[in-house]
Amino acid sequence: MIRHERTSWSATVLLSVAALSVLVPLYVTVTMALKTNQQAVDGNAFSLPWPLSWDNFAEAWTLTNFPRALGVSVFITVLAVVGNVLLSSLFAFALARNWERRWVRLAFYYVLAALFVPFPVVALPQVQLTGNLGLDNPVGVVALHIAFGLSFNTLLFTAFLRSVPAELEESARLDGATTMQTFWRLVFPLLAPMSATVAIFSFLGSWNDFMMPSLIIADPSLQTVPVVQKIFQTQFSSNYNISFASYLMAMAPAILAYVFTQRWVIAGVTQGAIK
Amino acid sequence: MPPPLSRRAFLTAAAAGAVGLGLSGCASDDRAIVRFHSSKPESIPYFRELVARYNQEQSAARVVLDTATNLQAAFLRGSPPDVGCLNYNMEMARFMERGVLSDLSDMPEAGRIRPEVQQLADQYATFPGRTNVLPFSVAAESVIYNRAIFDEHGVEVPTTWTGFLAACETFQAAGVAPLYGTFKDNWTLAQGMFDYALGGLIDVPEFFAAITELGTAVGPDSPRSFQRDFLEPMERMRELVPFHQADAASRAYPDGNLAFARGEAAMYLQGPWVFGELAKTDPDLSLGTFPLPMTEDPDDRKVRVNLDLALWIPEGSRQQEAARDFVAYLMRAEQMDDFNAQFLGFGTTTDAAPATDERIQDMQEFYDDGRFYLGPSQLVPLAIPLANHVQSMVLGADLRSTLAGVDADWARLAFRA
Repeated sequence: MIRHERTSWSATVLLSVAALSVLVPLYVTVTMALKTNQQAVDGNAFSLPWPLSWDNFAEAWTLTNFPRALGVSVFITVLAVVGNVLLSSLFAFALARNWERRWVRLAFYYVLAALFVPFPVVALPQVQLTGNLGLDNPVGVVALHIAFGLSFNTLLFTAFLRSVPAELEESARLDGATTMQTFWRLVFPLLAPMSATVAIFSFLGSWNDFMMPSLIIADPSLQTVPVVQKIFQTQFSSNYNISFASYLMAMAPAILAYVFTQRWVIAGVTQGAIK
Repeated sequence: MPPPLSRRAFLTAAAAGAVGLGLSGCASDDRAIVRFHSSKPESIPYFRELVARYNQEQSAARVVLDTATNLQAAFLRGSPPDVGCLNYNMEMARFMERGVLSDLSDMPEAGRIRPEVQQLADQYATFPGRTNVLPFSVAAESVIYNRAIFDEHGVEVPTTWTGFLAACETFQAAGVAPLYGTFKDNWTLAQGMFDYALGGLIDVPEFFAAITELGTAVGPDSPRSFQRDFLEPMERMRELVPFHQADAASRAYPDGNLAFARGEAAMYLQGPWVFGELAKTDPDLSLGTFPLPMTEDPDDRKVRVNLDLALWIPEGSRQQEAARDFVAYLMRAEQMDDFNAQFLGFGTTTDAAPATDERIQDMQEFYDDGRFYLGPSQLVPLAIPLANHVQSMVLGADLRSTLAGVDADWARLAFRA
């Protein structure tokens, strides 16, 4: 009983420092977004903004044509997340259940090899390829996000699937389930914690990606939020207040998604642990 | 090879449709679409208004302002913007050199450009028999000074090197930092002390033409080289270092803007892009500009310039006619004057109005007389980390060996080319 009431000061200090490392930049972002031009450059990052300059949001909104960019970003991110989770889990399922076949193992290593090919290396051929196929638009970016995510996500799913006992599936088959039914009714729900992990990774990757949309999307009016925000960063001028207002608007969906999915992930993980 | 049109059309429509954006309004419009690429952030609202005005005034084309396209990818894909209006530099000149920009020499607007200004573009690279870029706005850079501090200490604008050193000593004796240094950001040194010292002492285009000719032969024994020609200017540059405030080595560009706007130094070696930043802190600051005198002859003074914006039309544009019409619109005299007055630039045509802003008008006579030079730091390809070399020299590295290093880099790059 006594042990329970004792506070672990070292852990508290460590956690406080960790919390501050998130809260301090967030505080600076929020206050900076509300500062006037003069306050934004006065060199006091921690000062409170006064008078509050809500115009920054309006200016960032029109400068970047924010709603349209947000629409494109959401489109790309949603499709990439769904595609990543579905394709990788299906692929991993096929791999894990056919592991004894040699060509399946070869396919796995082949896909895994893509882990060693980062996008910048093949950027220029991809630009030409997508251009020739008429995929120089957000759809092309979705396809590439899924293709480039496939190896890492499959790795996660296969590792997890190996721990799922084959007997579970055999029982489903005894009840007359087809392969697809087994997957949808039994395996995919079991994969939920891993799906959440994959979804979070691919959400962050797609939402924050700068290079791929900037290179692949030909029509500038279909650019994503990180790309249109590039105009705030130059060598010669620093519109901190306007850019931070814009960053805050861009961050909001990511933070919201993180808050919600994080709870879900933790629930999923503990559920798996109790079993 | 282009794919069947149906697939491209389908995917494009799928993308546009799925995003749920009301593009249908544009589809029913049969005006030619001209994509106008300009990425100078401060001028985006200006160009947005201009484009709206143009679209209203005529009905043949619809111009769309594009601030986000990646040029390398667009050219590679074969779908470059129809009109470009950006900073002209070594990187942009690469496109021109490879012949992807169209010849504009038959446009009447090309004939209005001042020959000395057109030559600035040619110093980067040329394509035989073509005029590929039309300079739109020139930015001139020189020493920015705080008029109030100069008046307070009874210092006149110096016109000779000794006069400049004397002015610095006067300020220092009075406990005022003569120059504000932001050595932490090495580009501020390259465009400032480094370029001003060289531009005031050597013939910049002549030197670069000579070492380009020498190519791989540039080295310790070549007739022209960085170690030979730059040594004296660099020694002069080092003489200026003690006149900066004590913590110059740890200050960055935004720190410098704040401190200078608060009157913490008498002079600041920056270009016109800084005026907007200074005005954020103190919009009423009374500032002037003068070229850094490097010799004892006032007639040797020159200002540093760069092609802040230049217009071009890619060969790959499918809207050549409409693009040319828009370029002609941009280059109307009153249009250019209006832009330059607002963004503190200098006109590029023979009929351009002179600058009237007190912060830059003292440079007008130098500009009119053709007493200007492109910053040498702009003429060295980015593959050579020149700004880093400049920073080491300012912070005390051996001049000879550093410049010999630049020579070696230059020769290596020429070998690779």
